Amino acid sequence: MKKVSDFITRDLTSVTEDTPLKEVAEVLSLRGLAGIPVVNKENMVTGWISEKDLITSIFPEKVKIENPDVIGFMNLSQVVKKLTQVGHAMVKDYMSKTVYLVKEDAPASDVAELMLQKDLRRVPVVRDKRLVGVVDRASLSRILLEEGTFE
Amino acid sequence: MIVTVTLNPAFDHLLFLPEIHLGKFNRVQSTTRMPGGKGINVACSLAVLGEEVVATGLLGGQGCPTFEGALRKIGVTTSFIYVNQEIRTDFFIIEEKHNRQTLVVEEGSSIELRYLNSLKENFDRLLSSATLVEIGGSLPKGVSPNFIKELVQAANRKKVKIVLNLPENILEECIYGTNPFIIAPDLRESKSMFGLDIYSPDARMKISKKLLEIGAGIIMLKYGNLNYVVATRDEIWDGEIELEEKSVMIGVRDAVLAGFIHKYLGKENLGEALKYGLGAGRSAANSKMNFPNSKKETEEFLMMAKVKKVG
Repeated sequence: MKKVSDFITRDLTSVTEDTPLKEVAEVLSLRGLAGIPVVNKENMVTGWISEKDLITSIFPEKVKIENPDVIGFMNLSQVVKKLTQVGHAMVKDYMSKTVYLVKEDAPASDVAELMLQKDLRRVPVVRDKRLVGVVDRASLSRILLEEGTFE
Repeated sequence: MIVTVTLNPAFDHLLFLPEIHLGKFNRVQSTTRMPGGKGINVACSLAVLGEEVVATGLLGGQGCPTFEGALRKIGVTTSFIYVNQEIRTDFFIIEEKHNRQTLVVEEGSSIELRYLNSLKENFDRLLSSATLVEIGGSLPKGVSPNFIKELVQAANRKKVKIVLNLPENILEECIYGTNPFIIAPDLRESKSMFGLDIYSPDARMKISKKLLEIGAGIIMLKYGNLNYVVATRDEIWDGEIELEEKSVMIGVRDAVLAGFIHKYLGKENLGEALKYGLGAGRSAANSKMNFPNSKKETEEFLMMAKVKKVG
């Protein structure tokens, strides 16, 4: 049976709860990622922060980001003020504390099911609670399509 | 888990051609491009030998996905800090007709302080599950050897073994007050350390003695094609392995170090570890990559290594 370790991308790119949002935005942008794990000082996963969390930190909660007229709700000085505040805010203020993890030695079907049920694109993989990589939909699909089955 | 640190990684770009005509139009017969830099080479070699290894350092630009993808394919876990600079390229011109290899190295870009701070934090986190850390290679522009000293001190605080695989000018500035497990000076450019010529047997003994006095546990000095002196406070070993005429020398030194680390961590026997290291170096020289072809080939080649206790 295929395991999560067969599909893992062994990358530990992550941020901590005290990382400024400005730095998160830079990492996501430089790496072209939609979200990354949040870890503590021992590389244990404590949350997840995504580009969506960043966008919602900039714009008021009541404004839906899908609304193309979003800027119209705020005048320019309000936007600048908000951006300055957000730039200095920390990951812990905006991250999702509910994070779905999979163990490295878990069956691959577990992560596939989790991704489908929770509509997740990337899932952190852990060993002894420490981050060892991520599984993403693209690599999971690619390997499954190449091999045709979990078995 | 072993962590390798490369502050100034590069793509190693190999150009194979019969001979180069300086100042004229040249067409290469084939090329190979792969992730490089001393820490990266050690990481790849260790992964080929079956170690769990994480490569960290500073990486940036459009080449990142290719660079990291190639490392992961070999089995190296990546944990880089992303910077707003492109990855440099080192060119190796291999002239088959003259059996000559020329290295042209790009200097690294300037790095902003905030990226160095992020790297230090990331390094601290990695130390929590590391058994050994290897720091290798040159420094980007404006980064002081003192930064390496800070990393070494952080590892010392967490009692994680440190291997320094650095050029002599950087080493001389950062080894005092630290206790590295292994020092493998990169003397390709200087050919000397503490003003002593590496090609003199007497000087090699003096260099080893001085580095041991500073606080290192093991000294590895390369001289000649693939000749080594390995010394501790208790014993000194000399070793060599014959290379084929058309060997590609890129990454060979780092493969020897990786092989040595791999064997020594399993069984603390200096002579056997040196032999294994030489086997890994021979396998790397036999490949057109900067790491050994395989563990199997390393273990076949190590039979050709000649090592003897000399002190």
